[in-house]
Amino acid sequence: MSEAFRLLLLLLWGTMAGLDLVSVPQGLLSRPLVAATVAGLIAGDLAGGLMAGMVLELYALDVLPIGASRYPDYSVAAVAAGTAAALVPSAVAAGVAGMIGLPLAALGGWTLQALRRRNAASVRRRLDRVAAGEARAIWELQRNGFFRDALRSFGLALVGVGAALLVAQVRWDLFPHARLVSWAVLAGGIAAALGGAIRSAGRGARRYWLACGLATGILVVWFR
Amino acid sequence: MSARLEALVRLMAVQASYTYERMAGIGVGHAATPLLRDVFAARPARERREAIARSADFFNSHPYLAGVAVGAVVKAERDGLPGLVISRLRTALSGPLGSLGDQLIWAGWVPALIGITLIAAPSLGIWAIVALLVVHNTLRVWISAWGLDLGLREGLGVGAALQRSWLPLGALEAQRAAALAVGAALPIVASRVLTPATSTAAAAAVAAGIIGAALTVVPATRSRITGLRLGLVFVGLAVIAAGVLR
Repeated sequence: MSEAFRLLLLLLWGTMAGLDLVSVPQGLLSRPLVAATVAGLIAGDLAGGLMAGMVLELYALDVLPIGASRYPDYSVAAVAAGTAAALVPSAVAAGVAGMIGLPLAALGGWTLQALRRRNAASVRRRLDRVAAGEARAIWELQRNGFFRDALRSFGLALVGVGAALLVAQVRWDLFPHARLVSWAVLAGGIAAALGGAIRSAGRGARRYWLACGLATGILVVWFR
Repeated sequence: MSARLEALVRLMAVQASYTYERMAGIGVGHAATPLLRDVFAARPARERREAIARSADFFNSHPYLAGVAVGAVVKAERDGLPGLVISRLRTALSGPLGSLGDQLIWAGWVPALIGITLIAAPSLGIWAIVALLVVHNTLRVWISAWGLDLGLREGLGVGAALQRSWLPLGALEAQRAAALAVGAALPIVASRVLTPATSTAAAAAVAAGIIGAALTVVPATRSRITGLRLGLVFVGLAVIAAGVLR
């Protein structure tokens, strides 16, 4: 596969992952575990992409995209993180995934809000037609919303994959303690996933299920 | 393509023009349009336009369950109920469909499937991801079709039908499964990232994670401290440390 084709595929995959988050089809392509693993596969190192996907997924487990809530967008961020993780030594893959993925997720969340404001302006421009029940106006709003989101996702993918390519140029062997960053990313991920799970479990029996799960996971790790 | 199938396809993009003002209202109107065209085929165009306009008003629910409202509203229009009653039906459905859907899907089956995939992925690799996508999307299409059909069958009585259905209990069970799967996945992912860290480094990372989790839960700090913010701070500090210790 030529490098140009690989880059094109990554940008296309980033755009698809970004669209999947809210617009269409919400089929989990935007989950970091999926988006980063496939990006790693395209970039030439599935294991690196999977590692990026696993750590960023811990952060995404903290997010409940409910109603008008504002949340980070881990979709395109994970594509960029998976690309970066595939291009660096495996010892720093998780750390690099966090360095690229976390700021991009924050930026992605901001672009989602901007997108919704643009969509609202678009609705206001067609308010009379929508109020008159003109199906064509409704179709135009859906189509324009889709293309706006595709443009947003493509822009983020361009920034993210560009950053991943830059990070791949760093000589990681000059930083003997770079593994610290991977551990820091994991620590943040544990905080996010565990905090989210505790809040989601509330005060009822689900806390016991969470405790049972944690105990099972610890036993699996212990005896492996 | 039948009107039902067209509506179902359109429901996959119900949030394409999502806004804070109307939420998914426009998408719901878009999904309802093929069915409303059928219902009003032999009636005056003015009535059809009024129905389409009503269907594109503010609406907020879980996107996978929006079909319930689409179906119920179309049935109500078919039965010739007054516009005000139909608008009230949409408003009444908004809350329960959002709440049930969020519990069943965002807090239930999605984290449950993700947790299982996190556990399986180190061994199964890409096949774990493929299985996740196949299972989730089969469920996603099925629940959208189920919801649309329930709405089309029950109309005004859809709220009661929802309460009688498997959804409330399913949401509870899915959330239990999610708690179990995410809990089990956490140590497995941590062990994967921390191999081959020293036991001191591993303990420090896990301790920082647990303290961070506490900060995101405790009422005094949880509104300001999120997982992402903590992660950014941790990464920033680690990048500085790695640079200094070079």
